[in-house]
Amino acid sequence: MYGRLLLGLVRGSRGRLLVALIATTSAAAVLSALANIDLDVERKLTQQFRTLGANLVIAPARADQAASPAATNYSGAAGPALMPESAANELEKNRTPEIAVLSPYLYVLARSKSDRSVVVVGAWLDQMPRLNPSWKVEGNWVERRDDVQRCVIGRNVARNFQVPVGGDIALGLSGRSVTLAVAGVVEAGGAEDNQIFVNLPVAQLLIAQPGEIELVQLSVTGTEKQMAAVTRGLASANPNLEVRPIRQIAAAEGQLLARIRLLILLMVLLILVLTVMCLLATMAALAIERRADVGLMKALGGSISRIVAIFLAEAGLLGATGGIVGYLLGIGLTFWMGRRVFHASVSPRWEVFPLTVAVMVVASLAGAYPLRWLGKVKPAEILRGE
Amino acid sequence: MFARLVGESFIRNPHRKLLTAAALAAGMAVTTACLMMALDVGDRLAREFRSLGANMLVTSQSDTLALEIGGVDYRPVDEGAYLNEADLGKLKTIFWRHNIIGFTPFLDVQVRAHLDAGSPSGSASTATPPDIPTTLVGTWYQHRVPVPDGTKFETGVRLTHPWWTIRGRWFNDGAHECVVGASLAKSFPGGVAPGSTLWLQLANGESSAAAGRPIPLLVTGIVATGDVDDNSVVAPLALAQELSGHPGQFRQLFVSALTKPEDAFSQRDPAKMTPTDYDRWYCSPYISSIGRQVQQVMPGTEARPIRRVAETEGRVLSRVSSLLWLVTLAALIGAALAVAATAATTVLDRQSEVGLMKALGAPNSLVAGIFLAEQVLLACIGGAVGYLGGAVLARLLGEKIFGTAARMQPLLFPVVLTIATLVAVVGSLIPLRRASHFDPATILRGE
Repeated sequence: MYGRLLLGLVRGSRGRLLVALIATTSAAAVLSALANIDLDVERKLTQQFRTLGANLVIAPARADQAASPAATNYSGAAGPALMPESAANELEKNRTPEIAVLSPYLYVLARSKSDRSVVVVGAWLDQMPRLNPSWKVEGNWVERRDDVQRCVIGRNVARNFQVPVGGDIALGLSGRSVTLAVAGVVEAGGAEDNQIFVNLPVAQLLIAQPGEIELVQLSVTGTEKQMAAVTRGLASANPNLEVRPIRQIAAAEGQLLARIRLLILLMVLLILVLTVMCLLATMAALAIERRADVGLMKALGGSISRIVAIFLAEAGLLGATGGIVGYLLGIGLTFWMGRRVFHASVSPRWEVFPLTVAVMVVASLAGAYPLRWLGKVKPAEILRGE
Repeated sequence: MFARLVGESFIRNPHRKLLTAAALAAGMAVTTACLMMALDVGDRLAREFRSLGANMLVTSQSDTLALEIGGVDYRPVDEGAYLNEADLGKLKTIFWRHNIIGFTPFLDVQVRAHLDAGSPSGSASTATPPDIPTTLVGTWYQHRVPVPDGTKFETGVRLTHPWWTIRGRWFNDGAHECVVGASLAKSFPGGVAPGSTLWLQLANGESSAAAGRPIPLLVTGIVATGDVDDNSVVAPLALAQELSGHPGQFRQLFVSALTKPEDAFSQRDPAKMTPTDYDRWYCSPYISSIGRQVQQVMPGTEARPIRRVAETEGRVLSRVSSLLWLVTLAALIGAALAVAATAATTVLDRQSEVGLMKALGAPNSLVAGIFLAEQVLLACIGGAVGYLGGAVLARLLGEKIFGTAARMQPLLFPVVLTIATLVAVVGSLIPLRRASHFDPATILRGE
């Protein structure tokens, strides 16, 4: 009986219910898509920030460094504060997903054939493109870290030494020397433009320190909290090394992310409020429409609580249907927005589903609230058509 | 006659009108707020991105290769080319001068430092070791640069290196004062505290007349940079110039500028552009065009974007602003839905009225005209209220997020009114079409 009444209501409503259904469905679609995007935006943005390059440095503790002050480090006479290369290998082996990329570094002040000084950086060249995605390279990167024949040079080095891509560059330090082919010329817009990037063994050979490195640079993704956790984890795993965030990047990144996150969250909240308000208005309009039906039902002897229950069931059903269909549409919308904004798909979250349906049902029921006033309706008046 | 009809229809049943107007106002308020934020976010975030520090590096074109490791240049002072401090004011005369937030010159000098706690009049040159080799970084903290138009521009590391933090206070430009990097401070036996005196002497100073004589500097603070600058002494630029024998000169200039993210147009080679395109490029605040303008006022220099910063800024900015435009679109869809739904119910609710009008001989066009005129009137009221509400909302949001209120955009007012009208008219078109098919007799009979 109750079910039949409900069915009759739905069928008898002509276009009105359809309007309301379209409204709830699109509201739910917008709502779920925005919720999905909002939940994912932080992760997506931290990935964008990785173009900044390394944000964490692991180096021998400062006490050691102070013992051999910076300026004498690179003269070749006194050895810099070094750490074993195995530390970097160890880090890479036990890499957590937050650590996007890492590379050891060894700086050597070498001399060119024409007896000019130049900074040579020993690193894992295969990791460089991922560690420094913003660098512009002309030619190629060196793809293997055991390639001791080739190097990548900064653009100022290329200009000053007049070495094009494919040319040769000879480097020496206290009697030891190497000749490398230039695979590519990089432009970084910083000190790196004045440096020559070689694979680690080449730099170790030049400075005669096999198996030693100076520091490890890491690019860590994640929020400020995750970063802090990674820093702590690394520090406790390497007690005799110092783990320090590159402040310029870490601080600015955290601050910017917080701002952007707040901006998007507030705007999404605004839209949620708007959508719910729309839904309320639609449902209220629908409820007022129902005055004639209520009058008839009352005249036929229906109790007001029963009548209201039927209409609330109708509203709830509408909300639930709109919520479910809207969520499905919202998945499509989420994918589209993800592609459009981040050029990567944003994965929909399952927890958005119950949220969307719940919001829709509650909003629909709240919208039907004016039905309460129908208790005062006099059937005769309504049936007369007033 | 038509106006009276519309007016009477408008005054009748004020509750329903209020609902429609409220829906319109709410929808338009959110749309306005979103539009204002989306229009403004580029400027705002670009300013926020300056917390990353400088995004352009200016060096001399004829400079030798810098031997820079971790931010410290190991070249002797006599090697390489220098830039002139006197040219710096010209930076504030370029086309995009207002986009230049700050700039800081740097001059690195290799020095030997020793501590003389307490007795500044002590025999400095024969002071006891240890003599610690370090780098004197000459720069500005807060310096007033004379601009050719007669004004002064205040700039320094405060603006270009905002992540440098100080314990104690910064040095005064022009005073014999300095701040010491955190790790260098630790390497002095007993440490350095604000108030101590540091004696600096040129490291390989045989070429300079003043080389042999060390100069005393009062330590005013300990600076933490989180970089290798932590190993150096930071002092006013003038001191470094005096010590190195290069008065009025510096090596590197860091510029922090508000820029527009790079796009396909800015990637093109300016030399190959048509004159119109070149003008457009020159008059857009791309980092490349600002760099070009800097080179024009400081001949012999080379201004290059610090790619790491510039690239990230561009990427994040374009992502965030396209996300905001999508969110604005969502707001618009929400608003359209609300208005369409209320408009539809309005028409449906007034079937009997329509029926009566038609029975009295009103053509469909008049009925539609009355309804549409009413909707347009509502849209204007709702849109205006919504615009004001949205402006307030955007102000609040801007203050909450960025600390300063968003700019009012009067140009948005007609845009918002147009959108409101369009939405209201489109929303009532479908039910009006249905109303035109009403059979007056059926409706008046009450079915």
